[in-house]
Amino acid sequence: MVTIHINGKAVQAEDGEMLLTTIRRQGIDIPALCHHDAVEPCGSCRLCMVEITKKEWNGWSRHVTSCLYPVEAELIIATHTPYLQELRQTIIELYMARSPHSEVIQKMAGEYGITQTRFQTVPDGDNCIMCYACTRICAELGCFAISAAERGHDKVISGPLREAPVDCVGCLSCAQICPTHFIEWTDDDTGRTIWERRFELLACKKCGKKTITKDFAEYQSRKRNLPMSYFDICDDCKRMELSKTMGRIVVSAEEATQ
Amino acid sequence: MKYRFIVEPWLCTGCRTCELACAFSHARNLKPGRSRIYPLAHAKDKYVPVTCLQCDDPACVKSCFFNALRRNEETGAIELDLGRCVKCMACVAACPFGCALVDEVHDEIVKCDLCQGDPACAHFCPSKALRYTRLP
Repeated sequence: MVTIHINGKAVQAEDGEMLLTTIRRQGIDIPALCHHDAVEPCGSCRLCMVEITKKEWNGWSRHVTSCLYPVEAELIIATHTPYLQELRQTIIELYMARSPHSEVIQKMAGEYGITQTRFQTVPDGDNCIMCYACTRICAELGCFAISAAERGHDKVISGPLREAPVDCVGCLSCAQICPTHFIEWTDDDTGRTIWERRFELLACKKCGKKTITKDFAEYQSRKRNLPMSYFDICDDCKRMELSKTMGRIVVSAEEATQ
Repeated sequence: MKYRFIVEPWLCTGCRTCELACAFSHARNLKPGRSRIYPLAHAKDKYVPVTCLQCDDPACVKSCFFNALRRNEETGAIELDLGRCVKCMACVAACPFGCALVDEVHDEIVKCDLCQGDPACAHFCPSKALRYTRLP
């Protein structure tokens, strides 16, 4: 445990954790788009910047991304200085220029009192802010199905060679983690479509409810040694089965005691 | 594990007080959550309260690729870290008893966490079909 000072308050922090975790645990709201607990931090959205200093730095300070900066003893942190607020406003304005139709960005802009961006808007700008949350979660899953393709202005997140990713299992983790809800997918009666790939959905053998994709079930079964029979029926039917099994045991026990 | 959650289905009357207790004790943003415990009727007027069995070798923990599910060694419950959960539905599909649930109201996965060692359902169960007792 180390002691750090956040906005003038002494706070205990775990060794090795990142500043953002400590700051958020104190209930201080710091915006961040690319951060998610399940993935490694990468500091690409730049919104979680904080000002750090130490007593021995003689008044000098640094601005760092708090999601990537590990806690150090006797750090003095300011989270909402006028400079930082201006910095965040500028970053949000840049996001507004890049993704003019994103509701998440617009809501964030509203919270920071920004009505329009001073930068030239990309007319056909999509909602992808290149935070790599999707590629990081895919790596965490062990699939590495998607990655950044092309360079500079043309950079997009896609499968290898901008084709449908062969290693994708259709788990939707990338779509769920995407902070701006850019990744689209569709579920219908016959299956699921994501990243321009078609997946077969497993259907419950009793009630026909669709559960997860067949590829994801096979992936779990292969990686984590789960029998494929676990995926035969849906969770509702499994609970009913559990109730019936327990009930049978209760009834037979009652008969035995009578 | 010093305590054990005991379910005695032959005492259950199907009054669903446990469901209410669970939903309200896990309420967030002024909305009750989805109950983690259900009395399900396996025959007419015969109920079994179905909830997470906190397995010794849990399929949900195995299926989670993001370490969102971990066992709390103190209570013995497998707890879901919502910050790490990405709603990939792996645990919902993998649990052989179907006890990882989808809460549509809060749009998240829920599972029984034994209320951090003080289960509300056991407190409220009028027929004492649910009990939380110290192991001898």
